[in-house]
Amino acid sequence: MTDQNGKFESVDKVREGFKDAGYICNTDIATTVYLAFHLEKPVLVEGPAGVGKTELAKKAASFMDVPLIRLQCYEGLDESKALYEWKYGKQLLYTQLLRDKLDQVIDRGNDMDESIRTLHQYEDIFFSPQFLEPRPLLKALQAEQGAVLLIDEVDKADEEFEAFLLEILSEFQVSIPEIGTVRAKTKPYVFLTSNSTRELSEALKRRCLHLFIPFPEPELEREIVRYHVPAIPDLLEKQLVMFIHEVRKLELKKAPSISETIDWARALILLHAEGLDRDLTRKTLNTFLKFEEDIRAVDEKLFLLVDKALKETA
Amino acid sequence: MDRVLNSFIVTLRGAGVPVSISESIDAAQALAISGYGNRQVVKSSLAATLAKSVAEKEIFEDCFDRFFAYQAPKADFAAGQDNGDEQNPGDMPPIGGMIMEGDLGGVALAVRDAARSVDLQSIRFFTQRGIFTSRMLQALQLDQLDRFMADLYREGGSGAAATTRLLEQGRDALVDMVRRFVEEQYDIYARESTERIIERYLWDVRLTELEERHYDRMHFLIKKLVKRMNDRFSRRRRRAKRGALDFKRTLRSNMHHGGLLFETHWKKKRVNRPDVVILCDVSRSMSTVVRFCLLMLYGLNEVVARIRSFVFCSSLLEVSHVFESCPVAVAVERLRTGEGLDIHMGRTDYGSAFWDFTNRHLEAVTGKTTVIILGDARSNYGDPADELLQKISERCRRLIWLNPETSPMWGTGDSEMKRYMRLCDQVMECSTLRHLEQLVRVLVRIP
Repeated sequence: MTDQNGKFESVDKVREGFKDAGYICNTDIATTVYLAFHLEKPVLVEGPAGVGKTELAKKAASFMDVPLIRLQCYEGLDESKALYEWKYGKQLLYTQLLRDKLDQVIDRGNDMDESIRTLHQYEDIFFSPQFLEPRPLLKALQAEQGAVLLIDEVDKADEEFEAFLLEILSEFQVSIPEIGTVRAKTKPYVFLTSNSTRELSEALKRRCLHLFIPFPEPELEREIVRYHVPAIPDLLEKQLVMFIHEVRKLELKKAPSISETIDWARALILLHAEGLDRDLTRKTLNTFLKFEEDIRAVDEKLFLLVDKALKETA
Repeated sequence: MDRVLNSFIVTLRGAGVPVSISESIDAAQALAISGYGNRQVVKSSLAATLAKSVAEKEIFEDCFDRFFAYQAPKADFAAGQDNGDEQNPGDMPPIGGMIMEGDLGGVALAVRDAARSVDLQSIRFFTQRGIFTSRMLQALQLDQLDRFMADLYREGGSGAAATTRLLEQGRDALVDMVRRFVEEQYDIYARESTERIIERYLWDVRLTELEERHYDRMHFLIKKLVKRMNDRFSRRRRRAKRGALDFKRTLRSNMHHGGLLFETHWKKKRVNRPDVVILCDVSRSMSTVVRFCLLMLYGLNEVVARIRSFVFCSSLLEVSHVFESCPVAVAVERLRTGEGLDIHMGRTDYGSAFWDFTNRHLEAVTGKTTVIILGDARSNYGDPADELLQKISERCRRLIWLNPETSPMWGTGDSEMKRYMRLCDQVMECSTLRHLEQLVRVLVRIP
């Protein structure tokens, strides 16, 4: 993919560009995105749920002004769902419709040999691109202007599928037996995300750049909250982020992620809160904690946590 | 920079990050693209290309910070007086000149050059520190400097005493600096390899002879083993039976093609996880083996469906509830101390253990169960009761006997192993971590 308007000129340019697109990234993210573009390598993104792995790919698409093509992985995903499929129905319909025509072509008078030979001339009509249903991977290769290909939750797919991805990710081409090899017109920009439910294969990792997105530092998270909830009072935003960071230190079933921080901030704005207090926090715990046990655990230590958040931001 | 990058990659490999050739090429290209201007960007570039998992990222952080730590050279050379080189410039080695001039940067560079010339990055063991230090000093031509100093002292002359004193101070500081440098580099390059030697030793050490100070490491190793095994075997549960058409499913999914069979579905074979019943001899000689074996088995939730565990010595007792109520590591510790367990720790009696099992718990064994017996089969000349074992053997799917003794010892003295062996589907020696790993392979292969 060629660099349009020098968007990928430097790491800082990338960071600025993503910020304009609505994604605030740290140096790690900006550098990796920048390198992936220049090295033409896929990026494997790992990190806890809700830190913006999928969002990164979406924003990359809008930053580069190309379509986003998404492939959601699950157990049992196979080539026909990911790459291409023949349009069986259409093939069938056409053979029915063209029956008369076929009769003519074959010409009943001819003997068997002759008919087969005639048919052979038309053999490929039903296995031509018109009858091909491209699935996400093929679509990404065919995109004229390039595309961002997001292969989401690749760890959920089977190992065989992972092996199959290798060819596409390193050569940017696939072979379809009936048609031939399809090579990418413009190499797509590929993101793979993983929640580490299982270890991915070494071969796949070798071909990718690896990006780990952790929960953000308080500074960065505050910037993100400010960006998404511009109406938030300064004090509240500081206290809120500090509180969330304290909560993340506890042993919870599901630690609140960035999206939940933002949800909570929005909820507090609706309630016209100016600053954090114990009562308000207790009532809104369920906006960022999704398990009964977690809510109970935080509730027990609420006094301490709120106090700490208030003190540190005082 | 290539050379620096190379030795950094050597460091990473030493610390346990497997960096492939293609990845190191990527790293070099990445650096060429992103430049060396910004430390943070360099770090991110290398992290993206070299460290490919969360654990590796952590190691990388640590290595990067130590490897690219900028330290001002700490040696304190007295600021130079220039009269030194008027004396006898021909014989003084370059390092002497640097000392005289107080050129700290020059000395630091010379030390690094010397390190490269003696291949310091190949240091692996702490016993090598001395030899590398002396090799480096040699590369710095310290012997020449000494000779020069001796000559100067003998000849005397104006300012010679002062110069010698200055050089002597500088020399001592230099030796100190080299020693410290070797120490630091040893930390960078070799820290992990000592660890790895211990690890390799632990794989093959007899569990009965394991020292208690290695227990933590062993727990860690077992955790790693368990994770690897779970990863490897978790996805093998469904396997296509090649060639057998699943006619019902095929018909159903092709309804909308007007009954023409376009999409075919094939029959699949489910590979089941085994149910395990384990009987452990917990007499003193066996306790470490039992501990680690249970620790591993209970971790294997992707390989094993369900475990019921029994321990016996003079009598037999079910302990599954202990494992259900607390974490495995705590549970094995409780078994060792026998805390809250009503078990009679007298002479080991296999006969009565089998009697207890067949009379009270035989319902635990079904046609799907894999029964594992972990014990040395030394029954103190009591009744072996092999007919009871036969009863178990007939009822279960598989009977595996794990014996911590080596096979030549089987059947000697009070060992009833030879008698029991005939009734088992599989008999394995089980005394090291490696044997435990083999056990997993046997477990997943259900006949």
